[in-house]
Amino acid sequence: MNDMDTDARTDAEPPARSERDLSNAADMIVCEEICKWYGDFQALEGVSATIKEQEVVVVLGPSGSGKSTWIRCINRLEQHQEGRIVVDGVELTNDLRNIEKVRSEVGMVFQQFNLFPHLKVRDNVSLAPIWVRKKPKAEAEEQAQALLELVGIPEQADKFPGQLSGGQQQRVAIARALAMEPKIMLFDEPTSALDPEMIKEVLDVMKNLALSGMTMMVVTHEMGFAKEVADRIIFMEEGQIVEVGTPEHFFTNPTEDRTKLFLSQILA
Amino acid sequence: MSEYGADTPTIGDVPRIVTPPVEPHLPPRQWLAKNLFPSKLNTLLTIVASLVILAIVRGLLGFIFNPIRQWNATAVNLRLMMTHAYPADQYVRVWVSVAVFLVLTSLSLVVWRVGFRILLRKLAKQVIAGGVFGLLVSVLAPFSTNATLIWLAVSAGVLAIGLGLLRAPEEATISSLTLVVGASSLAAASLWLIPYGRHSFVPDRTPRILAEPGTVAITTKLPWTIMLVIAVATYAVGRMLRDRIPTKQAQTVLLLTWFLAPLALIYLVLRDPDFDMAHVVSTDIPIFLVFAALGSATLFWLTRPDTGEIGRVIAMVILFLGFGSFLTPMRMVIRILLILLAMFSLAAPTFSGDRQTRRRYATTWTVVTLFLCWLITAINTPSTVDVPGEFFMGGFSLTLLVAFFTLIISFPLGVVLALARTSTMPVFRLLATTFIEFVRGIPLITILIFFSVMVPLFLPDGMDLPELTAVTIGYALFASAYLAENVRGGLQSVTRGQHEAAEAVGMTTSQKTVFIVLPQALRVAIPPLVGQVIATFKETSLLYIIGLYDLLFVAKALVPNQTEFMGSTRENLLFVSVIYWIIAYNLSKASQRLERRVGLGER
Repeated sequence: MNDMDTDARTDAEPPARSERDLSNAADMIVCEEICKWYGDFQALEGVSATIKEQEVVVVLGPSGSGKSTWIRCINRLEQHQEGRIVVDGVELTNDLRNIEKVRSEVGMVFQQFNLFPHLKVRDNVSLAPIWVRKKPKAEAEEQAQALLELVGIPEQADKFPGQLSGGQQQRVAIARALAMEPKIMLFDEPTSALDPEMIKEVLDVMKNLALSGMTMMVVTHEMGFAKEVADRIIFMEEGQIVEVGTPEHFFTNPTEDRTKLFLSQILA
Repeated sequence: MSEYGADTPTIGDVPRIVTPPVEPHLPPRQWLAKNLFPSKLNTLLTIVASLVILAIVRGLLGFIFNPIRQWNATAVNLRLMMTHAYPADQYVRVWVSVAVFLVLTSLSLVVWRVGFRILLRKLAKQVIAGGVFGLLVSVLAPFSTNATLIWLAVSAGVLAIGLGLLRAPEEATISSLTLVVGASSLAAASLWLIPYGRHSFVPDRTPRILAEPGTVAITTKLPWTIMLVIAVATYAVGRMLRDRIPTKQAQTVLLLTWFLAPLALIYLVLRDPDFDMAHVVSTDIPIFLVFAALGSATLFWLTRPDTGEIGRVIAMVILFLGFGSFLTPMRMVIRILLILLAMFSLAAPTFSGDRQTRRRYATTWTVVTLFLCWLITAINTPSTVDVPGEFFMGGFSLTLLVAFFTLIISFPLGVVLALARTSTMPVFRLLATTFIEFVRGIPLITILIFFSVMVPLFLPDGMDLPELTAVTIGYALFASAYLAENVRGGLQSVTRGQHEAAEAVGMTTSQKTVFIVLPQALRVAIPPLVGQVIATFKETSLLYIIGLYDLLFVAKALVPNQTEFMGSTRENLLFVSVIYWIIAYNLSKASQRLERRVGLGER
């Protein structure tokens, strides 16, 4: 967790996101023509994209466009039926070992937090490192405390999730995902279930995470976050990728009519 | 400091405390008008209900206090009802068991900090109500003049105490435990003063199994007084030590003791096993040592995080050895330990970790092995207690015994069945579903008769299953099917999000089940599970039908057939119902406490 140390982060201002050159970075997630059906309904219609190391990708689109389905396919919470997904060199197939390997390298943050209600906040964070990563308990708890400090709620470690506010719960969920020391973080509408005054505290944590060099894929409706933090924006509709580009391109000069319509609706 | 004032008010900045408006305290007449006679219809209902209640109470009192009732039958035969034919000269063993139970209860009261303060004025109202009820009984019951006078005097005394308490200072309280001790002391003292169950009959007409002449009070007053002293003393000692012992560990140790104590009491104290030390040293101890040493070493190695596939192969080999051992003649304990070791090995990857975790896993294995070896040895050792009849326990103790074993077998089995039924693997699902639906479709009594009559016939030569064991297995299978359905309800209440969150951090299916799903599912399932426990406890009375000497059998079939107490069935049945009710009611209360306690984490 050294690369996410709080002090180191504030010193040097990194270059603006869109100016970074990631062309030489390794491929972290490769999706090729993924298709996914729920019964007769096709949720994904041939989605292809490559996400580089340290890249922050924000996925936008109207509801029902397949954003969440796509992101959930990447750690196999949903199973794609056609196409290939390769995460950090490991292809997702029916092989359980590959799935476990990918899941321990990919952190996921859910819209509904999904904290474990019967465990204290500290145990929520340290449970997986102890039993999945096989860390000694003392070390895992120390790490949990450090992560809770990182997300700004070290004093809540001994409470139960039900005693925290939504924003605090979501930050615990981020700490829980980070405790596995993932190479990639997936965010599935992390602020959609929060009261407006709590959205900022979660977005700030995510921003810092992005600045520390984490590879991130974020499904969100927060346009401010997308503008400020994203390296690339992917716009989806009806299970297809409609447009891909830098935030600058996307918000000022989109090429597709559908994108323009979407922007005019949400920015109106 | 929070926005709305801190927890501790500071000088000069005293937070305004807003309390809800207090309901005005109504004088009795207005209270009656408001709650019982607010409208014409309600007045009518109140009057009708009062008359019905009065009639019921009068009927009940008339039954209980009718001079022709043979309450002596119950009192004189208490020993028969509690322990059936347990030899009287060995009775100290029974009292030791009761003492152990009381010590455990006292320590649990200390460790779980049970007990609360009751306002004396509140208590006064209940005492007054008791006094009024006593007066009512004195008037309604068909007493002789003499008895009526005694009842009136006692009730008036109680009423006076209540009225006296009403003048206590407003804030004065008393501990609920003090009240319990006070009531128990009164009960114990009454044993010395009142000759309960006085009965004399012609000795030569008495069958051997009958209680001896005399009174219950004579034989039990000293033991009960000692029991009371032990309980109170344990509580006092526990109170003194409480703050020096870590609560969490103490609770774990106590829970384990609660589970182990009945086994130790049955097989060491009550049954008085006649251990053949030569055999124990030459066979039983070596078997334990070999399994403990080899098993811990294997498990310590298997739980290394980097063991990998070879671990599963080894576990499967042990499993095949375990099942294979049934093909050749061998000690049953070896077969059981082999299969258990295979289960531990299969679960090893789930619980792998650092040195400390691995050592704990190996230690768990050693403790379980020790326990099993001891239990199997104890079960196989003949008893020195000489009793007429097949089994050394009977009456209420048999009821408790069957209920206890049924529950400790059926609980794990029920959880496993529920997991299998919700599993993604079709074979497990099919087997579990078939078993559950099959068992639930058969009346319990059919299962019991099957196990008591048929199963012994099906057993291979040389294998011997006592009827009681067979019947307990039948009970356990039946209860496990119902428990499984209750647990399944709990499993379904765990949201999909919880599964996904556990999967997303890379947990395997078994880790997810053990750490995330089961704790939440069992918590939700507490009310139906306790309901099933109560049902199981009461269903032990079906032992009566297959002719085992449980509490109901003694009360219904033995006592009313004694020459002195012909036709005392109704008295005995009422007494038995009260015993069942007390226990079931307390279980239900305990479940409510448990619900509140585990609900703490969830807001």
